[in-house]
Amino acid sequence: MTVAGALAGGLIGTLVLTSLMRAANELKLTRMDLPFLLGTALSGNRARAKAVGYALHFCFGLVFALGYYAVFAAIGSAGWGLGAAFGLLHGVFAGTALVNVLLPVVHPRMGSPMTGAGDAPLLEPPGFMLRNYGVQTPLVAIAAHVAYGSIVGGFSSLGG
Amino acid sequence: MRRSDPSARRLDGYAPLRDYAAIGDGRTVALVARDGSVDWLPVPDLDSPTVFAAVLDDERGGRFVLEPEVAYRVERRYLPDTNVLETTFHTASGSARVSDALTLPGEGLEPFRELQRRIMGLAGTVRFHWRVEPRFDYGGASPRFGRRFGLPVAGCGADAVGLIAFGAGASAAGWSGAFETAHGSSHLLVLSMAHQEPLVFPSRGELDARFERTGEIWRRWTAERTYDGPWREAVIRSALALKLLVFSPSGAVAAAATTSLPEEIGGERNWDYRYSWIRDSAFTLEAFLRLGCPAEARAYFWWLMHTTQLDAPRLGVLYGLDGRRRASERELSLHGYRGSRPVRIGNGAADQLQLDTYGELMQTAWLYAEAGNMIDHDVGRRLGGFADFVAANWRTADSGIWEVRSEPRHFTQSKMMCVVALDRAVQLAERGSLPRRHLDRWLREAAAARRFVGSQCYSERHRSYVRSAGSEELDASVLLGLLHGFGDDAARLSSTVDAIATGLAEGVLVRRYSGGDGVPGSEGAFLACSFWLVEALARIGRVDEAADRMDELVGLANDVGLYSEEIDPAGEFLGNLPQGLSHLGLISAAAAVAEASS
Repeated sequence: MTVAGALAGGLIGTLVLTSLMRAANELKLTRMDLPFLLGTALSGNRARAKAVGYALHFCFGLVFALGYYAVFAAIGSAGWGLGAAFGLLHGVFAGTALVNVLLPVVHPRMGSPMTGAGDAPLLEPPGFMLRNYGVQTPLVAIAAHVAYGSIVGGFSSLGG
Repeated sequence: MRRSDPSARRLDGYAPLRDYAAIGDGRTVALVARDGSVDWLPVPDLDSPTVFAAVLDDERGGRFVLEPEVAYRVERRYLPDTNVLETTFHTASGSARVSDALTLPGEGLEPFRELQRRIMGLAGTVRFHWRVEPRFDYGGASPRFGRRFGLPVAGCGADAVGLIAFGAGASAAGWSGAFETAHGSSHLLVLSMAHQEPLVFPSRGELDARFERTGEIWRRWTAERTYDGPWREAVIRSALALKLLVFSPSGAVAAAATTSLPEEIGGERNWDYRYSWIRDSAFTLEAFLRLGCPAEARAYFWWLMHTTQLDAPRLGVLYGLDGRRRASERELSLHGYRGSRPVRIGNGAADQLQLDTYGELMQTAWLYAEAGNMIDHDVGRRLGGFADFVAANWRTADSGIWEVRSEPRHFTQSKMMCVVALDRAVQLAERGSLPRRHLDRWLREAAAARRFVGSQCYSERHRSYVRSAGSEELDASVLLGLLHGFGDDAARLSSTVDAIATGLAEGVLVRRYSGGDGVPGSEGAFLACSFWLVEALARIGRVDEAADRMDELVGLANDVGLYSEEIDPAGEFLGNLPQGLSHLGLISAAAAVAEASS
């Protein structure tokens, strides 16, 4: 189990997660667009926001992989299945708290349930389990995170 | 706007719809009757279930009563340039003022939603009684009552309310009380509301500061509006009413703040309007731009393009305020306003095909781009998809702008708006905002649709565009097609305006259409259509006639300047309120007359 393996898993996992979410966009399963949500925190220009968002998204993918690695190291075990379980937890956490509650609070262009008539935010809040972006969004998001977690877990275990 | 008239009156427990003023905070809206009763309050959001719904069921709906104990006369107004309501009660022994506001959020620890009712003695003494009857889930759920820090609270599921009273003579149970005002005395009743979080009980100082700040935010917002034409007071009040319907967390604009206020007293034309209709988008965006609200215009356009993404290249008729495409219609076991049943939540029109919506959306995009905003590649691609859909489907029968529940027809206004959709797509493509690869097809189909409308949807007998292909019924919505840029035949435009002015209007009030729609019963005159006629008259140069009609229509608002959806010949309001489309019609008509005059 190595940090390099976890980081490699984070990179590949983020690639897969992003591709799955993008494919779900095209298949009209969800309006969820994580790079766009992240990028618009820094720019109101849609095109620039997407470019910045992709960079941020991959950084976060690597940071989360390090977090996974820390837990794998603490319990002395890693693998595809364990990673998938972490990914499931990660996906549920993202839908219930991370993106649902925390992102609207810190995102300068996103509305939250507390946004009042004095403001005019540009982005609708995601809602519980991100369902504002389409009723299939929870399934898509969780499946993508399970794939991410599995890859991080698998690569971590492969790395020596 | 300050008027007075005889004291508030109720019939079978129900206040006339004209008696309601609206207060809101950008998340939810409450209706306050002239007699001081809050009879409508969904929590936490405008489209949520209610805590107070006495306007739909006098017995079970729940309300917040606050009224003098003796006979009184009422004077009402909004605090200038705000959505803070002032109701002044005059009795034989004295006068007192009630100021109502749903306060706006700031930086501190505040209740999730907060209703403040501040009572101030003006002269002599006035004895008030008050009573809070919180019900949840449209009166269908039983609340659990209790006390926290000695304050009464009621909870149900994820929702709770608590009552804070200062100098209000609360009873032992805490949900009612009585007190007497004296000159300069101050009394305060606050409903603190929570959703999925603990209740917050603010201090008196925090409450005072928040109330002041709420007025300041509204005044600042109003000061930024740029409209300076005729009927300015009515236009600004309409802007403030429209702002109440903007769901701030997402930027969506609700059609109205209520559900199931009837189009006919005792009838079944009772619909839930707490959704955002694509149909209203062009008027909405244009109003935002005319009023100098670029932030709201941008937020609304972003919301429109984001929320329609999953359906593209098709469009839903309406969307939830949080962007969700769920509007399944069901009926509640409520008595209904003066027996007008059923009370519906959700809206079955969501699944209809309404081709006019494509024209509205493309017109909206055009207005947005014309105002100097950029349409990026992704949005342009999606707009191109909508135009392709119109080019392929404009020959299909649909349910039309009025959402008839009878068989689909070839509605004239739908075809007109298909032409508008394709025309705008061509214009946007020519300026580089849309892909150009289907330009020839859009031009070809626009010409074909225009020929269809010209040959099949115009009646020589009426000398007017008619309701649908081959019919002899009139429809005021064709004015909308003409206002949004369909056609260039000035003679036909002028004669159509005349036909509608004589065939559908009674005085200044215009009905929507002649003929059936698949729903039993009748309805009143449609206020938006009445304003569209004013705008059409102004556009064809009959400015004096338009201005006269406008004067009269402005005079038909209620005492605080609000409109519902419809109005009957006696001047009583019908339908949901405050109605966005009515206020949008007013703003647009006033601006059109101003432009034509200059």
